[in-house]
Amino acid sequence: MLLGYIKEVVKEQAMAEQYLIELFNELKTADINEVTAAGVNTFLRLQQIARKKLSSFITTVEHCTDQAEIATKKAITGNKFIELMSSEQQLVFCSVHYHGKTITKLAAELNKPEDTIRLLLRESFTIIRNNRNDTAVHQ
Amino acid sequence: MIQQYINSGILEAYVTGSASEQEIRELLYMKANHPEVNIALQELEKDMELIAQQMAITPPERTWNRIADTIDELILRQTSNPDQFTGREDNNYKNFTKPDTGPQYIEVEAESNHMKVHKLWKWVFAAVFVLGKIFLAFAIYFYLENRQAQQQLKEIKTELQQLKR
Repeated sequence: MLLGYIKEVVKEQAMAEQYLIELFNELKTADINEVTAAGVNTFLRLQQIARKKLSSFITTVEHCTDQAEIATKKAITGNKFIELMSSEQQLVFCSVHYHGKTITKLAAELNKPEDTIRLLLRESFTIIRNNRNDTAVHQ
Repeated sequence: MIQQYINSGILEAYVTGSASEQEIRELLYMKANHPEVNIALQELEKDMELIAQQMAITPPERTWNRIADTIDELILRQTSNPDQFTGREDNNYKNFTKPDTGPQYIEVEAESNHMKVHKLWKWVFAAVFVLGKIFLAFAIYFYLENRQAQQQLKEIKTELQQLKR
């Protein structure tokens, strides 16, 4: 799953594999303990580490805020959940999830209130939730 | 109140790593004190995994082998935590079979071939080198001058002798 995430960011299989190897090789004992600690979602923690590692790469690639890019071919393809999102929701989700932008930074870039960005992000998750037939918490 | 907090989008920001430091602190407090927040977070984590599963790629075997080698090395390094060797017993065999003792290391003071000098010496050495070159140039110049003068003196002496005759 982690390789899939990295590939979505770097868009190249060989480079994604190299990033994955480096990510694991650079893990310190403390990181391993943290990732495998009880109550911690190991995948999400590794994904956060990967996002941090990819931050330097992310700054060199095209932004999700490229409206033309989104309008023509959509920023992310092949993910049924993301494809169900509107362009605006996808823009927020892509910027946050794949480009590691903070809500504050994204709000400033899009010239929108932080609450609106959070709401769009939440709507993105609601779409995912509704399509996995589990609405226990999100209503 | 709690439901309002859950619906605010902060939890989504947290799981995607886009929340601010203050939001994270607040959320961890809420998570510790309100089980509903914790449940909502777990659900969001499932959602994140679901997205990842959609885009999942199985890493080739060679990738895993390269990762596994380093992990194995880390695990071995973690378990080995030797104590410093403190003393020897007269009976040599006891030194190898001490019960209830883990691995030990002996501190060795190695004699290094290197020495540490102040960074200022770099400039001193550079100055000495440059001055050395200047002196050498002067020495060559004066040697040649002297040789020329000697030659001229010899010529004058020869001329004088010829004139005397």
